[in-house]
Amino acid sequence: MDFMKTIPERRSIRRFHSSPVDQELVFALLREAQQLYPSGEAAAFRCVYAGTADSRERLAACMLEPLVKNRLVKWLPEKVRDFVRKRVTDIPGHLAVIARNDPDGRKSDMNYAAVCGIMQNFQLVAWQRQLGVLWDTETIMQSKALFDLFKMNPDERLVGIFHLGYFDRVPKARARTRAEKKWTVLPERGGGSVE
Amino acid sequence: MNDVSSGSKVGCSLRYSGKPVSENHVLNLLNVAVWAPNDGLREPWRFIFMGPGSADIMRGLQEQAPAYLVLVVKEEQDLHKREEDFAATCCLMQNFRLLARESRLHVRMTMNDWIYDRAYAGRLGVQKDERIVSVLEMGYLEQTLEPAAAENRPGFTFELL
Repeated sequence: MDFMKTIPERRSIRRFHSSPVDQELVFALLREAQQLYPSGEAAAFRCVYAGTADSRERLAACMLEPLVKNRLVKWLPEKVRDFVRKRVTDIPGHLAVIARNDPDGRKSDMNYAAVCGIMQNFQLVAWQRQLGVLWDTETIMQSKALFDLFKMNPDERLVGIFHLGYFDRVPKARARTRAEKKWTVLPERGGGSVE
Repeated sequence: MNDVSSGSKVGCSLRYSGKPVSENHVLNLLNVAVWAPNDGLREPWRFIFMGPGSADIMRGLQEQAPAYLVLVVKEEQDLHKREEDFAATCCLMQNFRLLARESRLHVRMTMNDWIYDRAYAGRLGVQKDERIVSVLEMGYLEQTLEPAAAENRPGFTFELL
Protein backbone atom coordinates (compact mmCIF):
# COMPACT_ATOMS: atom_id res chain seq x y z
CA MET A 1 0.00 0.00 0.00
CA ASP A 2 1.43 3.30 -1.02
CA PHE A 3 0.99 5.55 2.00
CA MET A 4 3.34 8.16 0.52
CA LYS A 5 0.50 8.75 -1.93
CA THR A 6 -2.60 8.08 0.19
CA ILE A 7 -1.68 10.20 3.22
CA PRO A 8 -1.42 13.56 1.42
CA GLU A 9 -4.32 12.76 -0.92
CA ARG A 10 -6.84 11.95 1.81
CA ARG A 11 -9.43 14.62 2.62
CA SER A 12 -12.17 14.86 5.20
CA ILE A 13 -15.45 14.43 3.33
CA ARG A 14 -18.51 16.43 4.32
CA ARG A 15 -20.85 15.86 1.35
CA PHE A 16 -21.86 12.29 0.71
CA HIS A 17 -24.16 10.59 -1.73
CA SER A 18 -27.01 8.53 -0.47
CA SER A 19 -25.73 5.12 -1.61
CA PRO A 20 -25.51 2.81 1.41
CA VAL A 21 -22.26 1.78 3.07
CA ASP A 22 -22.22 -1.95 3.63
CA GLN A 23 -21.62 -3.00 7.23
CA GLU A 24 -19.41 -5.89 6.04
CA LEU A 25 -17.13 -3.40 4.33
CA VAL A 26 -16.94 -1.22 7.45
CA PHE A 27 -16.00 -4.26 9.52
CA ALA A 28 -13.39 -5.37 6.96
CA LEU A 29 -11.83 -1.90 6.92
CA LEU A 30 -11.68 -1.87 10.71
CA ARG A 31 -9.90 -5.22 10.68
CA GLU A 32 -7.46 -3.94 8.11
CA ALA A 33 -6.89 -0.76 10.12
CA GLN A 34 -6.18 -2.77 13.23
CA GLN A 35 -3.77 -5.07 11.40
CA LEU A 36 -1.78 -2.09 10.16
CA TYR A 37 -1.19 -1.12 13.77
CA PRO A 38 1.83 -2.72 15.51
CA SER A 39 0.58 -5.87 17.20
CA GLY A 40 2.74 -5.40 20.28
CA GLU A 41 0.65 -2.41 21.32
CA ALA A 42 -2.77 -3.69 22.25
CA ALA A 43 -5.71 -1.35 21.79
CA ALA A 44 -8.89 -1.87 23.80
CA PHE A 45 -11.86 -0.44 21.94
CA ARG A 46 -15.24 -1.29 20.46
CA CYS A 47 -17.34 0.05 17.63
CA VAL A 48 -21.03 0.63 17.07
CA TYR A 49 -22.32 1.08 13.53
CA ALA A 50 -25.49 2.86 12.47
CA GLY A 51 -26.07 2.12 8.81
CA THR A 52 -29.83 1.58 8.57
CA ALA A 53 -32.52 4.27 8.27
CA ASP A 54 -33.96 3.28 11.62
CA SER A 55 -30.65 3.33 13.50
CA ARG A 56 -29.75 6.71 11.98
CA GLU A 57 -33.05 8.15 13.21
CA ARG A 58 -32.31 6.95 16.73
CA LEU A 59 -28.79 8.36 16.55
CA ALA A 60 -30.11 11.71 15.29
CA ALA A 61 -32.65 11.91 18.12
CA CYS A 62 -29.88 11.43 20.69
CA MET A 63 -27.57 13.91 19.01
CA LEU A 64 -30.37 16.46 19.09
CA GLU A 65 -31.17 15.99 22.73
CA PRO A 66 -28.65 18.52 24.11
CA LEU A 67 -30.07 21.05 21.64
CA VAL A 68 -33.66 20.32 22.55
CA LYS A 69 -32.88 20.68 26.24
CA ASN A 70 -31.17 23.99 25.63
CA ARG A 71 -33.82 26.69 26.13
CA LEU A 72 -32.42 28.96 23.50
CA VAL A 73 -32.91 26.39 20.82
CA LYS A 74 -36.50 25.74 21.87
CA TRP A 75 -37.33 29.16 20.48
CA LEU A 76 -35.78 28.30 17.18
CA PRO A 77 -38.08 27.18 14.44
CA GLU A 78 -38.69 23.51 13.92
CA LYS A 79 -36.78 23.95 10.66
CA VAL A 80 -33.46 24.29 12.42
CA ARG A 81 -33.95 21.09 14.36
CA ASP A 82 -35.02 19.34 11.19
CA PHE A 83 -31.89 20.56 9.47
CA VAL A 84 -29.64 19.00 12.13
CA ARG A 85 -31.70 15.81 12.18
CA LYS A 86 -31.60 15.50 8.41
CA ARG A 87 -27.85 16.07 8.33
CA VAL A 88 -27.45 12.93 10.47
CA THR A 89 -30.09 10.78 8.78
CA ASP A 90 -28.96 11.67 5.25
CA ILE A 91 -25.39 10.46 5.79
CA PRO A 92 -25.33 6.74 4.94
CA GLY A 93 -23.24 5.46 7.83
CA HIS A 94 -22.06 6.46 11.30
CA LEU A 95 -19.41 4.54 13.17
CA ALA A 96 -18.90 5.27 16.85
CA VAL A 97 -15.48 4.34 18.24
CA ILE A 98 -15.31 3.80 21.98
CA ALA A 99 -12.03 3.34 23.86
CA ARG A 100 -11.44 1.79 27.24
CA ASN A 101 -9.99 4.03 29.95
CA ASP A 102 -7.52 2.75 32.49
CA PRO A 103 -7.24 3.98 36.11
CA ASP A 104 -3.56 4.55 35.31
CA GLY A 105 -3.42 7.78 33.29
CA ARG A 106 -0.38 6.74 31.31
CA LYS A 107 -2.01 3.46 30.26
CA SER A 108 -5.15 5.37 29.30
CA ASP A 109 -3.07 7.69 27.13
CA MET A 110 -1.35 4.74 25.48
CA ASN A 111 -4.64 3.07 24.71
CA TYR A 112 -6.18 6.31 23.44
CA ALA A 113 -3.13 6.90 21.22
CA ALA A 114 -3.40 3.36 19.83
CA VAL A 115 -7.12 3.76 19.10
CA CYS A 116 -6.45 7.09 17.36
CA GLY A 117 -3.72 5.40 15.30
CA ILE A 118 -6.14 2.68 14.24
CA MET A 119 -8.74 5.33 13.40
CA GLN A 120 -6.23 7.12 11.17
CA ASN A 121 -5.46 3.78 9.49
CA PHE A 122 -9.20 3.35 8.94
CA GLN A 123 -9.43 6.75 7.26
CA LEU A 124 -6.55 5.83 4.94
CA VAL A 125 -7.80 2.39 3.92
CA ALA A 126 -11.32 3.80 3.44
CA TRP A 127 -9.84 6.47 1.15
CA GLN A 128 -8.13 3.76 -0.89
CA ARG A 129 -11.63 2.30 -1.49
CA GLN A 130 -13.08 5.73 -2.39
CA LEU A 131 -15.09 5.73 0.83
CA GLY A 132 -15.22 9.18 2.42
CA VAL A 133 -14.86 9.78 6.14
CA LEU A 134 -15.41 12.69 8.50
CA TRP A 135 -14.05 12.25 12.02
CA ASP A 136 -16.57 14.15 14.12
CA THR A 137 -15.51 15.31 17.58
CA GLU A 138 -18.25 17.92 18.15
CA THR A 139 -18.93 18.58 21.83
CA ILE A 140 -22.59 17.81 21.12
CA MET A 141 -21.57 14.16 21.11
CA GLN A 142 -20.48 14.10 24.71
CA SER A 143 -24.06 13.79 25.94
CA LYS A 144 -25.77 11.40 28.30
CA ALA A 145 -28.33 10.51 25.63
CA LEU A 146 -25.59 9.30 23.30
CA PHE A 147 -23.68 7.50 26.04
CA ASP A 148 -26.88 5.66 26.93
CA LEU A 149 -27.56 4.83 23.30
CA PHE A 150 -24.11 3.24 22.99
CA LYS A 151 -24.52 1.57 26.42
CA MET A 152 -21.26 3.09 27.55
CA ASN A 153 -19.65 2.05 30.81
CA PRO A 154 -18.03 4.56 33.17
CA ASP A 155 -14.61 3.25 32.14
CA GLU A 156 -15.18 4.05 28.47
CA ARG A 157 -14.81 7.17 26.38
CA LEU A 158 -16.26 8.09 23.02
CA VAL A 159 -13.25 8.92 20.84
CA GLY A 160 -15.35 10.08 17.93
CA ILE A 161 -17.99 9.24 15.39
CA PHE A 162 -16.98 8.62 11.80
CA HIS A 163 -19.54 9.80 9.26
CA LEU A 164 -19.18 7.57 6.21
CA GLY A 165 -20.31 7.68 2.61
CA TYR A 166 -19.30 7.77 -1.01
CA PHE A 167 -18.67 11.14 -2.64
CA ASP A 168 -18.33 12.89 -6.00
CA ARG A 169 -16.14 15.81 -5.27
CA VAL A 170 -12.75 15.83 -3.55
CA PRO A 171 -12.38 18.98 -1.44
CA LYS A 172 -9.39 21.23 -2.06
CA ALA A 173 -6.27 20.72 0.01
CA ARG A 174 -5.64 23.05 2.94
CA ALA A 175 -1.90 23.52 2.94
CA ARG A 176 0.10 22.30 5.91
CA THR A 177 3.00 24.01 7.64
CA ARG A 178 6.34 22.47 6.71
CA ALA A 179 7.89 20.31 9.41
CA GLU A 180 11.09 22.41 9.21
CA LYS A 181 9.17 25.28 10.83
CA LYS A 182 8.33 23.12 13.83
CA TRP A 183 11.73 21.54 14.17
CA THR A 184 14.33 21.59 16.94
CA VAL A 185 17.53 19.57 17.00
CA LEU A 186 19.19 18.50 20.24
CA PRO A 187 21.91 18.72 21.36
CA GLU A 188 22.13 22.19 19.91
CA ARG A 189 24.72 22.60 17.26
CA GLY A 190 27.59 25.01 17.43
CA GLY A 191 27.66 24.74 21.20
CA GLY A 192 31.42 24.42 21.19
CA SER A 193 31.72 20.65 21.19
CA VAL A 194 34.02 19.39 18.49
CA GLU A 195 33.81 15.97 16.93
CA MET B 1 16.32 8.62 38.43
CA ASN B 2 15.37 5.11 39.54
CA ASP B 3 12.52 3.94 37.38
CA VAL B 4 11.67 6.83 35.12
CA SER B 5 12.17 4.62 32.10
CA SER B 6 9.55 2.13 33.25
CA GLY B 7 7.00 1.43 30.63
CA SER B 8 9.60 0.64 28.08
CA LYS B 9 9.79 -3.05 27.42
CA VAL B 10 12.97 -4.24 29.03
CA GLY B 11 14.71 -7.18 27.46
CA CYS B 12 13.59 -6.60 23.91
CA SER B 13 16.67 -4.61 23.02
CA LEU B 14 16.92 -4.16 19.28
CA ARG B 15 19.99 -4.63 17.17
CA TYR B 16 20.48 -1.45 15.20
CA SER B 17 22.91 -1.38 12.33
CA GLY B 18 25.51 1.35 12.15
CA LYS B 19 23.55 3.26 9.52
CA PRO B 20 22.72 6.73 10.82
CA VAL B 21 19.20 8.18 10.65
CA SER B 22 19.40 11.28 8.53
CA GLU B 23 17.65 14.42 9.69
CA ASN B 24 16.57 15.05 6.12
CA HIS B 25 14.91 11.71 5.77
CA VAL B 26 12.90 12.21 8.96
CA LEU B 27 11.87 15.68 7.75
CA ASN B 28 10.79 14.25 4.41
CA LEU B 29 8.59 11.68 6.10
CA LEU B 30 7.17 14.29 8.47
CA ASN B 31 6.26 16.59 5.60
CA VAL B 32 3.96 13.84 4.36
CA ALA B 33 2.78 12.86 7.85
CA VAL B 34 1.59 16.42 8.60
CA TRP B 35 -1.34 15.69 6.25
CA ALA B 36 -3.12 14.31 9.29
CA PRO B 37 -6.66 15.49 9.97
CA ASN B 38 -6.63 18.19 12.67
CA ASP B 39 -9.47 20.33 13.91
CA GLY B 40 -9.45 23.93 12.75
CA LEU B 41 -6.10 23.35 11.07
CA ARG B 42 -4.46 24.16 14.38
CA GLU B 43 -1.51 21.87 13.56
CA PRO B 44 -0.84 21.60 17.30
CA TRP B 45 2.40 19.60 17.02
CA ARG B 46 6.12 20.26 16.95
CA PHE B 47 9.16 18.02 16.77
CA ILE B 48 12.42 17.58 18.64
CA PHE B 49 15.01 15.51 16.84
CA MET B 50 17.97 13.94 18.54
CA GLY B 51 20.64 12.31 16.44
CA PRO B 52 24.29 11.63 17.13
CA GLY B 53 25.40 12.95 20.48
CA SER B 54 22.03 12.48 22.12
CA ALA B 55 22.99 9.41 24.14
CA ASP B 56 23.80 11.54 27.19
CA ILE B 57 20.45 13.30 27.14
CA MET B 58 18.47 10.09 26.91
CA ARG B 59 20.54 7.86 29.18
CA GLY B 60 18.32 6.27 31.81
CA LEU B 61 15.20 7.57 30.11
CA GLN B 62 15.07 5.65 26.85
CA GLU B 63 16.60 2.57 25.31
CA GLN B 64 19.69 3.31 23.28
CA ALA B 65 18.87 4.16 19.67
CA PRO B 66 20.63 5.93 16.79
CA ALA B 67 18.04 8.73 16.83
CA TYR B 68 14.97 9.94 18.68
CA LEU B 69 11.98 11.98 17.65
CA VAL B 70 10.01 13.64 20.43
CA LEU B 71 6.44 14.56 19.50
CA VAL B 72 5.25 17.62 21.39
CA VAL B 73 1.69 18.98 21.42
CA LYS B 74 0.46 22.41 22.48
CA GLU B 75 -2.01 22.27 25.34
CA GLU B 76 -5.04 24.48 24.88
CA GLN B 77 -6.96 25.86 27.86
CA ASP B 78 -10.12 24.28 26.50
CA LEU B 79 -10.10 20.63 27.52
CA HIS B 80 -12.12 19.50 24.53
CA LYS B 81 -9.67 21.14 22.11
CA ARG B 82 -6.83 19.64 24.09
CA GLU B 83 -8.23 16.17 23.48
CA GLU B 84 -8.75 16.88 19.77
CA ASP B 85 -5.16 18.10 19.50
CA PHE B 86 -3.79 15.03 21.23
CA ALA B 87 -5.80 12.82 18.84
CA ALA B 88 -4.54 14.80 15.82
CA THR B 89 -0.94 14.34 16.94
CA CYS B 90 -1.59 10.61 17.31
CA CYS B 91 -2.84 10.56 13.69
CA LEU B 92 0.33 12.32 12.58
CA MET B 93 2.39 9.81 14.55
CA GLN B 94 0.58 6.92 12.86
CA ASN B 95 1.21 8.46 9.44
CA PHE B 96 4.87 8.77 10.30
CA ARG B 97 5.08 5.15 11.41
CA LEU B 98 3.42 3.88 8.23
CA LEU B 99 5.82 5.93 6.11
CA ALA B 100 8.86 4.87 8.13
CA ARG B 101 7.91 1.22 7.65
CA GLU B 102 7.75 1.75 3.89
CA SER B 103 11.28 3.16 3.98
CA ARG B 104 12.55 0.39 6.30
CA LEU B 105 13.28 2.80 9.10
CA HIS B 106 12.41 1.06 12.35
CA VAL B 107 10.37 3.08 14.83
CA ARG B 108 9.67 2.07 18.39
CA MET B 109 6.95 4.15 20.03
CA THR B 110 7.34 4.83 23.75
CA MET B 111 5.36 6.76 26.34
CA ASN B 112 7.60 6.29 29.37
CA ASP B 113 6.81 7.73 32.79
CA TRP B 114 9.38 10.53 32.55
CA ILE B 115 7.48 12.32 29.78
CA TYR B 116 4.86 13.27 32.38
CA ASP B 117 7.52 14.88 34.56
CA ARG B 118 7.69 18.64 33.93
CA ALA B 119 11.32 18.81 35.06
CA TYR B 120 12.50 16.17 32.62
CA ALA B 121 10.38 17.53 29.78
CA GLY B 122 11.63 21.04 30.52
CA ARG B 123 15.21 19.94 29.92
CA LEU B 124 14.27 19.29 26.32
CA GLY B 125 12.79 22.77 26.06
CA VAL B 126 9.18 21.66 26.40
CA GLN B 127 7.17 24.69 27.56
CA LYS B 128 4.50 24.93 30.26
CA ASP B 129 1.70 25.01 27.70
CA GLU B 130 3.03 21.92 25.94
CA ARG B 131 3.35 18.24 26.66
CA ILE B 132 5.22 15.31 25.20
CA VAL B 133 2.94 12.83 23.44
CA SER B 134 5.58 10.20 22.81
CA VAL B 135 9.20 9.52 22.06
CA LEU B 136 10.01 7.54 18.93
CA GLU B 137 13.22 5.55 18.99
CA MET B 138 14.51 5.20 15.46
CA GLY B 139 17.15 3.25 13.61
CA TYR B 140 17.85 0.72 10.91
CA LEU B 141 17.79 -2.89 12.04
CA GLU B 142 20.40 -5.48 11.22
CA GLN B 143 17.63 -7.89 10.33
CA THR B 144 13.95 -7.28 9.78
CA LEU B 145 11.59 -8.28 12.52
CA GLU B 146 8.95 -10.85 11.72
CA PRO B 147 5.55 -9.29 12.27
CA ALA B 148 3.70 -11.13 15.04
CA ALA B 149 0.87 -13.35 13.90
CA ALA B 150 -2.43 -11.54 13.63
CA GLU B 151 -4.17 -14.16 15.78
CA ASN B 152 -2.30 -12.95 18.85
CA ARG B 153 -4.21 -9.74 18.75
CA PRO B 154 -7.22 -9.21 20.95
CA GLY B 155 -10.27 -8.52 18.85
CA PHE B 156 -12.70 -5.64 19.07
CA THR B 157 -16.45 -5.87 19.13
CA PHE B 158 -18.47 -4.50 16.27
CA GLU B 159 -22.11 -3.97 17.11
CA LEU B 160 -24.97 -2.66 15.06
CA LEU B 161 -27.08 0.12 16.48
